[in-house]
Amino acid sequence: MNPKRLFRFAGASLALWHGLILFAGFFSPYDPTMQNRTLAFAPPTRIHFFDRYQRFHLRPFVYGVRAQPHNPEAYEEERSQVYPIKWMVRGHGYKAGGLFPTRWHLFGVDEPGRIFLFGSDDFGRDQFSRLLFGGQISIAAGLAATALSLGLGFLLGMMAGLQAGWLDEVVMRCAEVFMALPWLYLLFAVRAVMPLHVSAGKAFLLVVVVIGVLGWARPARLIRGVVLSAKEKDFVVAARGLGASGAYLVGRHVAPQTRGVMLTQASVLIPQYILAEVTLSFLGLGVSEPTASWGNMLSTLQQYHVLLSYWWMFIPGLALIPLIWGYYTLANTIKMRL
Amino acid sequence: MIRYCLRRIINSLFLLAAVSVLTFLLFEIAPGNFLDELRLNPQVSEQTIANLKAKYALDQPIGVKYAQWARSVAHGDLGFSVAYNMAAAPLLWHRAANTLLLTVTAMVLSWLIAIPTGAWIAARRGKWQDILFGGANVILLAIPHLMLALILLLFALRSGLLPVGGISSTALSSRGWGTTTGDLMAHLVLPVLCLVLVTLPMLLPHVRRAVSDVLDSPFILAARARGLPDSRLLVGHALRASANPVISLFGLSISELLSSSLLVEIVMSWPGLGRLLLEAILARDFHLVVGCVLLSTAFLAGGNLIADLLLYASDPRIRAKQ
Amino acid sequence: MSHAWLARNLALCLLAAAVATVPSGGSQPARPGREELLVSKTPAGNQGGRLIVSQRGEPKTLNPVLALDLPSREVIYRLMGDLVHIDRSTLQTQPALATSWAVSPDLRRYTLNLRRGIKFSDGFPFTADDVTFSFKVYLDEKVGAPQRDLLVVENTPIQCRKIDDHTVMFELARSYAAAERIFDSIAILPRHLLEKDYQQGLLRQVWSLNTPPDKIAGLGPFQLHAYVPGQQLVLRRNPFYWKSDQNGNRLPYLDEVVFVPSPSEDAQVMRFQSGEVDIVSRVGAQNFSVLQRLQRPGDYKLFDLGPGFEYNFLFFNLNDLRSKGLTDISRKQSWFRQTEFRQAVSAAIDRQAITQLVYKGRAAPLAIHVTPANTLWVNRAIAQPQRSLERARKLLESAGFSWKDGALADAGGQKVEFSILTSAGNTQRGQMATIIQDDLKQLGMTVNVVSLEFRTVIDRALRTYDYEAAILSLASGDADPNSEMNVMLSSGRTHIWNVGQSHPATAWEAEIDRLMKLQLITPNYQQRKRIYDRVQQLMADNQPMICLASPNILVAAREKVGNLRPVVLDDYVLWNAEQLFIRKNVP
Repeated sequence: MNPKRLFRFAGASLALWHGLILFAGFFSPYDPTMQNRTLAFAPPTRIHFFDRYQRFHLRPFVYGVRAQPHNPEAYEEERSQVYPIKWMVRGHGYKAGGLFPTRWHLFGVDEPGRIFLFGSDDFGRDQFSRLLFGGQISIAAGLAATALSLGLGFLLGMMAGLQAGWLDEVVMRCAEVFMALPWLYLLFAVRAVMPLHVSAGKAFLLVVVVIGVLGWARPARLIRGVVLSAKEKDFVVAARGLGASGAYLVGRHVAPQTRGVMLTQASVLIPQYILAEVTLSFLGLGVSEPTASWGNMLSTLQQYHVLLSYWWMFIPGLALIPLIWGYYTLANTIKMRL
Repeated sequence: MIRYCLRRIINSLFLLAAVSVLTFLLFEIAPGNFLDELRLNPQVSEQTIANLKAKYALDQPIGVKYAQWARSVAHGDLGFSVAYNMAAAPLLWHRAANTLLLTVTAMVLSWLIAIPTGAWIAARRGKWQDILFGGANVILLAIPHLMLALILLLFALRSGLLPVGGISSTALSSRGWGTTTGDLMAHLVLPVLCLVLVTLPMLLPHVRRAVSDVLDSPFILAARARGLPDSRLLVGHALRASANPVISLFGLSISELLSSSLLVEIVMSWPGLGRLLLEAILARDFHLVVGCVLLSTAFLAGGNLIADLLLYASDPRIRAKQ
Repeated sequence: MSHAWLARNLALCLLAAAVATVPSGGSQPARPGREELLVSKTPAGNQGGRLIVSQRGEPKTLNPVLALDLPSREVIYRLMGDLVHIDRSTLQTQPALATSWAVSPDLRRYTLNLRRGIKFSDGFPFTADDVTFSFKVYLDEKVGAPQRDLLVVENTPIQCRKIDDHTVMFELARSYAAAERIFDSIAILPRHLLEKDYQQGLLRQVWSLNTPPDKIAGLGPFQLHAYVPGQQLVLRRNPFYWKSDQNGNRLPYLDEVVFVPSPSEDAQVMRFQSGEVDIVSRVGAQNFSVLQRLQRPGDYKLFDLGPGFEYNFLFFNLNDLRSKGLTDISRKQSWFRQTEFRQAVSAAIDRQAITQLVYKGRAAPLAIHVTPANTLWVNRAIAQPQRSLERARKLLESAGFSWKDGALADAGGQKVEFSILTSAGNTQRGQMATIIQDDLKQLGMTVNVVSLEFRTVIDRALRTYDYEAAILSLASGDADPNSEMNVMLSSGRTHIWNVGQSHPATAWEAEIDRLMKLQLITPNYQQRKRIYDRVQQLMADNQPMICLASPNILVAAREKVGNLRPVVLDDYVLWNAEQLFIRKNVP
């Protein structure tokens, strides 16, 4: 595929993902923490077009499921009752885009029917809804931590690049240390000194701050490099000769030069940080239950019986692939264009 | 040569010192302290606490504390594990050796695969093989390591072909050396495979780019014009010329490998530093945490040192600078 | 199950069984100088072979005065011997290092005749001096051994005196029926190896995992052979062990027992499945189903022994925190201390869901701490817990709570929010916490779940009191109510919701204290049962421990292991390790 098409494709896939996740409440049929205790580990609900008399229905429908009488771990469809899939239904309340309270959902089925597109987890919670809401946590963590890293990196890189004296020396030596760290180990160490005894919200913030602060070194070095070369560019030298103030020079000429580096770094760091959050939550050091996050969802797979029996628990991991692919492709294309 | 070596070693030591200071500072600002944790452990007697207090200057200001701890490192104790009620070093060495075994094997294998494959793809750049590998590479890169480890684990469980988790089949003590080694190899397969699959997609594009840059350079074009066969060109000239950018990647890849191995160790219950670290965190066993971080940094520094030396050996420009 | 040390403390604290039994002793008449072997009555097995036992977590120490975690104790019990042993299958005492014992008419003096001519695993002879030394160590406050609690009756330590080389006498401060039961699991230490360290005050430092095997000796069926950190701990057969089978072959049958640590129950089951280990002594219900589904004939056996004596429960921190500076928690205690609040929480919990989701139905929902397994003592008048949100709401209203936008607030307008501590690595308790979290959300309570390493949870619950609520499990080590003494008495060290009070904080705790002490001196079973029924009723009414479920004891073992007799009590499988053997001609 040529780079331009690839770029568009990656961009579109990212936009789609982020759209789905931003409006998780609308696209998901259920509250991500709602438990259906009689439907633990229900497989993805089958969507039918033909009923038991082989009649075709234009509107797809689902059946209810119940545990098999002789094998309570497997479910069977209860064919007597049909639950047509309805579009634009009213369900549990949520805030659209985090702002406007509403009850509208894209699709759903009538109670007591359930539609689990991606199956249900150990408490009978809808995996599809959890995936979308969990994405909010994981992606928000990725974005916020990236912003933090880039912000810190930008600040320190600019200072080092412009100052070019002892400050430069100190910042760059520190950056070397930070870059040479086994960062996941350090992330763990930092998590170790944080109180484990915190609420879900605080834990999330902590994770973000920790991930973000640890990653300042690489962007800082790159930005310093850009600043150093920008300082020597003809037009900057000329502007300085014409008596432009330092602040003006930085704001007008030097800072814009760093845009390319910032963009590439962002598209490399975001997926990396999303994965860091997933890893931490997987190991029980991230956001705590019942909040959905991709790491939390995947951590169920640490249980032998889940790993062996319920393939749909892998879905959150699969969902990560297009997202990360999108970001990496974006990073590559930006790099190539620079 | 020796001066260069020394400088790199001093650099590494500086790095280690910086990391230890950093982690120590971290624990200083953290709520709850080592002494509290010690007192909480019913297995640690007042006598032990008093001894440790004297040994590590636990109630002194941080400078003194750090100096004492550094002394214990010099003595080979690496601090005191609250949970195990013993010096941290014996706990750490064994795990560190396991981690090293895992990562070094994975590293060597990845490079052994990456260099010929990368060169081969580079020789076919633009052809379908290149595009195929590129695509596969991106997909491998996009699979979260966690996912990969879990899928491999599931495969091993389902197929029953490979031992699942751990480092050795139990109780081989009475059998021969050969069996033990064979058994270790069998246990290595799964985690190493996982690490190789994680590392390869990072290495391949770099090797490919480095080799193809050389292949496009004038001296190769000239050689080809003189009629040298492609295979000899690739092995004899291009690979050697592209050694530099590839070696500089070596140091960086270690950091990534260590981080992935942390996860792989935990998922596949490999008794390495990663698992020890996770346990230490949950038990709030501070000195053990510092020890784990420090040892992993030491691996990293060691790897970088090797990379630097290799670079020195392969690149005459660095030698000339001296 | 790492709650075991608690269980032990409970089990052995003040065992005064209703019927005192002094067994005749299955040993040969004493002949000085000759080795007195104990003849075991189980079916004979083959000599040799190796048994590989999976452990959840690595042992932390081999020192009996330190060991609190189950993996350590599981190993130590194989290395060490006790004077009198409780047979885990019959719950009767049987002779061990003491061949017989006599009780004075006032039940205060116990004279024990020691087994003659036997040796420690290093070949050093065993005498009364080892016994007196061991008890000196355990009773020494400076050593701080957990065993001390069991050996102190009415605040007075038990007295141990040597009569001659093969006779010791114990004297108690008060008459005490069947006190020989307290000797169970008290390891007899080798004086020749440890006396010097003890005198130097270094006893807590000895016998760590990296101690060379020849520095460790005991009177158990096995001796330490090798330890590889994180991988395995190998025990070899003790050639001097003092039991033999009916054919006169010296026990144990096995040459080696290898303990293999796994970080989780899942890893244990995986290794069992792959054939690497022979025994998993506690399998979770979910993995049990997997094992059942994948079972091939002739490969392994699965045992569902029904609910054991273990009970999971949620409890609130009711400790007196005035001197602790935990202001945030003491503020919340104004809710926790209200009986209605606790009753409401109990009424809101869906125990049926817990048994189904967490245990796949392989558990019994609990109303009180006495599990259905304890048919002799359970109070059947107490109704099975039924979930009722309505009742819960009424209870909360009557206690002055109200709802604002669906969130529960107390009379002062404070929103009700607290955290529940669970132990990381215990999936079941984590899942219970998540279910409870959701149940209580429906009452408008905000609950955070925090998982910490098990030891940290215990420390917080029993020492620092820095927690709001927690989920733990305890296991009565014995059916008798006396085994619950330390939990029930308000002064008890495991009176978990309000530890070690000097005076009972509430009227109902005072009443329980009175009843428990009364049953201790009541000889008649019917009367004791009535008293203990009343105690259970008080517990059910006041809900200091909101009991959840009692899991079935599930064991997995290879077909080739012979003489396997798993029991519902702690040490589930290895209690008769010396009799276990590997069957020939079974893969």
